[in-house]
Amino acid sequence: MSKLIATKAIRGAHTLVKRAEEELRLAIQQKGPATKVEFPNTGYYLPVSHGILGLHIQNLEGLQALLDEAKKLLPPMPSDKLWVPYLGNTLDAGMATLFADEIIEAIKYTQDPLPYLLKANPDEEHLWIGAAGDIIMRERGIEFVDGTAPGFAACVGYCPTNEIAVKIARELQEKNLYVFMSAATDGKSMAQQLREEGIQMGWDTRLVPFGNDVTATVHSIGFATRVALSFGGAQPGDYQRVLRYNKNRVFAFVLALGPVDDEKHAQAAGAINYGFPTIADTDIDQILPSGICTYEHVVSPVPHEKIVSKAIEVRGLKINITKVPIPVPYGPAFQGERIRKEDMHVELAGQLQPGFEFLTTKDMDEVEDGKIDVIGPEIKDVEEDTQIPLGIWVEVAGREMQPDFEPILERQIHDFINCANGVFHMGQRDINWARISKEARAKGFTFHHFGTIVHAKIHGEFGKIADKVQVRIYTREKEVVELREVARKIYKQRDARMADMTDEAIDTFYSCTLCQSFAPNHVCIITPERSGLCGAYNWLDGKAAFRINPTGPNQPIKKGKVVDAEKGQWQDVNDFVYNNSHKTLEIFNAYSIIEYPMTSCGCFECISGILPSTNGIMIVYRDYTGMTPSGMKFSTLAGMVGGGVQTPGFIGHSKQYIGSKKFISAEGGVKRIVWMDRVLKEELAPILEEIGKREGMDDFIERIADETIAITEEEVLEYISKKNHPALAMPPLF
Amino acid sequence: MKTIAISGKGGTGKSTIAALIIRWLKDQELGPILAVDADPNVNLNDLLGIRIEETVGAIREEMKRSAHKLPGGMTKQEFLEYKIHASLRETRDFDLIAMGRPEGPGCYCYANNLLRDILKTLSDNYKCVVIDNEAGMEHLSRRTTQRIDDLLLVSDPSARGVHAAARISKLLTELDTRVGKKHLILNRVKKDIPDILEKCIEKHGLDLFSFIPEDDTLLRMDQSGKPIWKISEDSSAYQAIHQMMGELMKKGKNDI
Repeated sequence: MSKLIATKAIRGAHTLVKRAEEELRLAIQQKGPATKVEFPNTGYYLPVSHGILGLHIQNLEGLQALLDEAKKLLPPMPSDKLWVPYLGNTLDAGMATLFADEIIEAIKYTQDPLPYLLKANPDEEHLWIGAAGDIIMRERGIEFVDGTAPGFAACVGYCPTNEIAVKIARELQEKNLYVFMSAATDGKSMAQQLREEGIQMGWDTRLVPFGNDVTATVHSIGFATRVALSFGGAQPGDYQRVLRYNKNRVFAFVLALGPVDDEKHAQAAGAINYGFPTIADTDIDQILPSGICTYEHVVSPVPHEKIVSKAIEVRGLKINITKVPIPVPYGPAFQGERIRKEDMHVELAGQLQPGFEFLTTKDMDEVEDGKIDVIGPEIKDVEEDTQIPLGIWVEVAGREMQPDFEPILERQIHDFINCANGVFHMGQRDINWARISKEARAKGFTFHHFGTIVHAKIHGEFGKIADKVQVRIYTREKEVVELREVARKIYKQRDARMADMTDEAIDTFYSCTLCQSFAPNHVCIITPERSGLCGAYNWLDGKAAFRINPTGPNQPIKKGKVVDAEKGQWQDVNDFVYNNSHKTLEIFNAYSIIEYPMTSCGCFECISGILPSTNGIMIVYRDYTGMTPSGMKFSTLAGMVGGGVQTPGFIGHSKQYIGSKKFISAEGGVKRIVWMDRVLKEELAPILEEIGKREGMDDFIERIADETIAITEEEVLEYISKKNHPALAMPPLF
Repeated sequence: MKTIAISGKGGTGKSTIAALIIRWLKDQELGPILAVDADPNVNLNDLLGIRIEETVGAIREEMKRSAHKLPGGMTKQEFLEYKIHASLRETRDFDLIAMGRPEGPGCYCYANNLLRDILKTLSDNYKCVVIDNEAGMEHLSRRTTQRIDDLLLVSDPSARGVHAAARISKLLTELDTRVGKKHLILNRVKKDIPDILEKCIEKHGLDLFSFIPEDDTLLRMDQSGKPIWKISEDSSAYQAIHQMMGELMKKGKNDI
């Protein structure tokens, strides 16, 4: 970043802190240190100092402590000769500015007459309304949390013409953004321009004139701070959480209109602390590299017709207004909300009542879009604290709709319903469970609204494939139990389809690097036919985990060009493994135990190892503590196989993998098994039997040795020779 | 949200203190409260006068055992979340979750990873979370527990007890767990605290935050198996908790 802009911001901060000191001195002199100081109607004291420092300032004397903090933060002016990194200092200067702002604004509230109108909307005489009370903050702040309003634009200065001011305000309004206005330049401000054009302002129209003074900009930041305290669960003084919450959740930015002086630079520096970037219409120095904000920090000069879209882009804001028409707030922030029994009006399905959720495809003329029926009692018909059944039956029609999408859409019902405030939802299919709070009921939430949510969200998120959606909500036991049987039949068919899924049929695998904390070079590749070696993750879990946490340890990997179909080698998978094993593994075969086999972390359920003289392999489960024919116990083998290194001849894997058609298929598969520990052999008996039959052997299990039969390689060879084990007739292992 | 964990060596009465704290939080209307019984012996529920049907440990084992035959189409994350929510015991004043047995052999990275997220989301629903910890601190060291604001190290008024508390305190520092403040609580104090014990506390660098006097009411309730939850507000133990918690909650507020 440029030294120039840092200098301006730091100089601005110095000016403001000095002004705060002077005004505070005067105020104490005139009114006495015990004079009460407050922003009216708020329980958050002076919100920035309360949120960031945990201060409870209540009188002029208390402001002194805040002034001391501001002074402490104030960095020295950059010298003409010395060049040092400035971002840290600039941020400190920004925070000091916000503290100084708050002191100056707080003193304003001790004046008579008050410079601000204490109402939600300006009137004929008074334009500036100052800090918002808590009622407004809660009412409006929740819109930030539930996504109704994505954020706010703090507009400082004025536009070249009134017409441009109106245009920018309208454009921001259309995006559902709040427009906070403050800081006149040379007596001119955006709010005055809007007033001259007869535009209705106030919280009702989302055009909020805070104050004429540059220091009134702190009311925007104070608002954001209170949102973090009130909705983000941040404790006063937990500044990290306050700032992080704002960066991640409150999509705000500063629009600097017209000339930007030192003091406005200082405000911009304050906003950067919160992750709010500044976009200017004039040519000021930029701060481009990201670090605190999601992308750039200060961008200029941006023409007026592009300034709103540029701001949205720089702040990383995704405008997605699919408002769900229900009487309670709705948004991802309410996921994971549990409705306590004490607060619950009604419980649906769950442990005590039957339930199901089912989605199916219909022809276009069979679905009436938006039709929602409740069959059985509505919420008004059920008493408080009762349990009733719940069946959600969804019918979707669409030109692009396919039966394959049904389970995907159906699984979304949980996420959709869970986003409603005051509604708890768990599970899916025939183990669903919901609760509706007394509060949601009081606000008018009904069973019908389950349908409303599903209808709106399927359109919003799957509009490409779904053209029409209708929903039936069943709350009577008879219908729920009957239809659950119908649904269960389909669930079964879907599962069978899933079980038949092959690696060839899909083009994406998932990685798992969860265990890299202790095996830094290990990468699991999870395919439909080879689950993670710990047995915990299968391909569907990997897919779901990626959807939940797109930057987590499970990443999608396109297979890319097939290098060797038999051994399970793909170009893009090789590349992924190379890059994510810290460049230690170049080639990876999914289905081979001999050539470039998959590595292990240490979490494997089983270890397979070759027994060279038998032309076969042994498998030992991790609970087996005895000796194996390889001459090593499980623990010794584990030390050799784990840690992210390829050990030709040995692999760690899940139990499930043994039953897969791809189990060491490069070497001939399950028929190679000559020894297993007894417990494992018994557990997998049904699978082994089936595979044996497929190969024309009714007694395949009999031919596999275990520790009660053989514990040395010689003994195994002797036994399998007697039993005519198929491995003996197979091509040599290597 | 305020998270308070209580720990100490076995038999020092930490579960009793946990129960008293939960009762106090309820009396002060600081709920909703989530009580977490992280002691494998699982007895906090008895002190609170409710029954436990299922523990998180048992659910975790079930998930691992039947990993291949989970309900169709459900991921393990969803399954675990559902089961844990269903295992929660709910009363008017607090909800209780029991962690149960520690893990057996095998790999628990995955299960614990899921568990941590689920418990974190769950506890966000409460104003106060009270964790009755076992001495081994499995859940802290395994990071299945989220950040703790105040850790109360409970000891009887003996040098051995104080040594044990100091060990736990040290262990936590070494494990780099996220604990805000650590306080030493002496339980069942008969009269005064002898100088020698005070010196011992000082030597270990512990902060003697409060002591709870020996209380006959409490003793009788214990002997007859009556839930501590129902203790009278006049009892000396409750009064001591009242004073201690008042201090603790006040401290939290003014922290910068």
